[in-house]
Amino acid sequence: MASVTPLPPPASPAPFYAAAAKVYPREIDGRFSRLRKLAVVLLLGLFYGLAWLDWNGHQGLLFDLPARKFHIFGLTLWPQDFLYLTLLLIVAALSLFFFTALAGRLWCGYACPQTVWTELFVWIEQWTEGSRSQRMKLDRAPWSAAKLLRKGTKQLLWVALALFTGFTFVGYFTPIRSLGSQLLSLSLGPWQSFWVLLYSLATYGNAGFLREQVCKYMCPYARFQSAMFDEDTLVISYDGKRGEPRGARRRGTEPRSLGLGDCIDCTMCVQACPTGIDIRAGLQYECIACGACIDACDEVMDKMGSARGLIRYTTGHALQGARTRLLRPRLLVYALLIGGAVGVLTFSLLTRTPLILDVLRDRNALYREVHGGLIENAYTLKMINLDDRPHRYRLTVSGMPGLGIVVPAGDILLPPGSVNSIPARLAAAAEAAGGVHHIVLTLATVDGSGIAVHENTRFIGPSP
Amino acid sequence: MPFVRGLDLALVLWPSFLAACGASLLFFAAVDPALLRDAGPRVFAGLEREAGYALGFLFFWAVAAVASALSVYLIRTARTPPAATHAASDER
Ligand code: SF4
Ligand code: SF4
Repeated sequence: MASVTPLPPPASPAPFYAAAAKVYPREIDGRFSRLRKLAVVLLLGLFYGLAWLDWNGHQGLLFDLPARKFHIFGLTLWPQDFLYLTLLLIVAALSLFFFTALAGRLWCGYACPQTVWTELFVWIEQWTEGSRSQRMKLDRAPWSAAKLLRKGTKQLLWVALALFTGFTFVGYFTPIRSLGSQLLSLSLGPWQSFWVLLYSLATYGNAGFLREQVCKYMCPYARFQSAMFDEDTLVISYDGKRGEPRGARRRGTEPRSLGLGDCIDCTMCVQACPTGIDIRAGLQYECIACGACIDACDEVMDKMGSARGLIRYTTGHALQGARTRLLRPRLLVYALLIGGAVGVLTFSLLTRTPLILDVLRDRNALYREVHGGLIENAYTLKMINLDDRPHRYRLTVSGMPGLGIVVPAGDILLPPGSVNSIPARLAAAAEAAGGVHHIVLTLATVDGSGIAVHENTRFIGPSP
Repeated sequence: MPFVRGLDLALVLWPSFLAACGASLLFFAAVDPALLRDAGPRVFAGLEREAGYALGFLFFWAVAAVASALSVYLIRTARTPPAATHAASDER
């Protein structure tokens, strides 16, 4: 294979679903399988564990949709902070581009929830139904008590795991402890039950039933990732030059003397593949870069006494005998963009003031003359306390000597989160008030937390 | 191009599901579903936030599914499959 551009999808969609033969991936051991197991344990451990972690008296990671606020450990974000989420999504997307250009579908092989949960479901399958050949035999065998027991146990474990997954998932959006006690007392609300069941169903369907078909037929990333590939991208490839012509031979024979390449055509790589493809036909968009075929073939090469790496991570250029350039303009551009977005995100988070003040001038009258020879302007203040606890604030004004605040007279107490709208009136002696004055309103906490915002506005008096 | 039952169902439901996720995220970041209860038409009286999110999501999903279904229908009922005509004109 000279080119690393994945083969185009099959032209006719007709044989989808109907003809999708069940894939029985062979269990294998090796560097990449161990790496993937590690990733699965780590990621699922985080997923099932983090929901239970408390932080300062509340759930550490909670996207509290009913209360419309996000707790991310010490940080509380409100819908007004949507910018951060957007930036985070941009960083995530750019990182995906970066890693895809660098080393292909790392995401698919190790981090995609589809892969991770499928792996977990396959472990249960191997535990209840046995190895690849045992599973195939079991499926062919007529129904019996033993078959029912094995299949029944598998389904039971799958359903239990799926339900627990759905429960944990919803536990990130509504406090998991109260969710748990509601579940135990069977008093879960209808909508919470709906979400738990929906996510459980998705987990069961995707990881137990659809599996590789999700990657093959449903995943948009699988189709457009080829746009991020080039001849310097690390991909899993079969070294055709070394392997062909393939053919069976006895152990210990020198393949070149038989006119053969290193591939003994044992099809171990095909049996190991969770998406059921033959990597020897070239890079295909169905390949999720899990590395199972590398592990399988390395084991065969060890047994045959040949060098490992007939299937390996390599690049299109390396296979053609050209030099591979890891640092390419495309990667640098991605890296710069990621760095920029991370910088903006960090900076705006560090300088974030958990308070919003908007000042609107009264539209009805420019000014009012009130008794005592004063000129008064009216405003509406819109305030949002973005901290996770209530604060007491004081309003002050500067920029015009002699200007005072009539209302609000005392301190303002703001509960967290809600939008508060209050009227404000400023007044100055008529002699000093003529014309337009640019003033600054400052809202600051009086409880020593040092939160303050400033807002520019105008004070208008009769034209002099 | 004939209809393919399982596939067509998936082609309708799946992309619209993804679209509904994105739409819900954007929409509910800006709009509090409690607003529907407080300021919306009478039918929404007594609507819980959770219910608001779920109904919103289902609504987006349904709308997007209609669009997906139309696309599939148009592709399937075309006399000459569009994929084939393109392949003939600009490939190889
Ligand atoms: S071809 Fe190899 S790397 Fe690709 S999905 Fe199959 S086993 Fe995994
Ligand atoms: S595992 Fe290696 S030797 Fe066996 S068929 Fe695959 S490429 Fe050839």
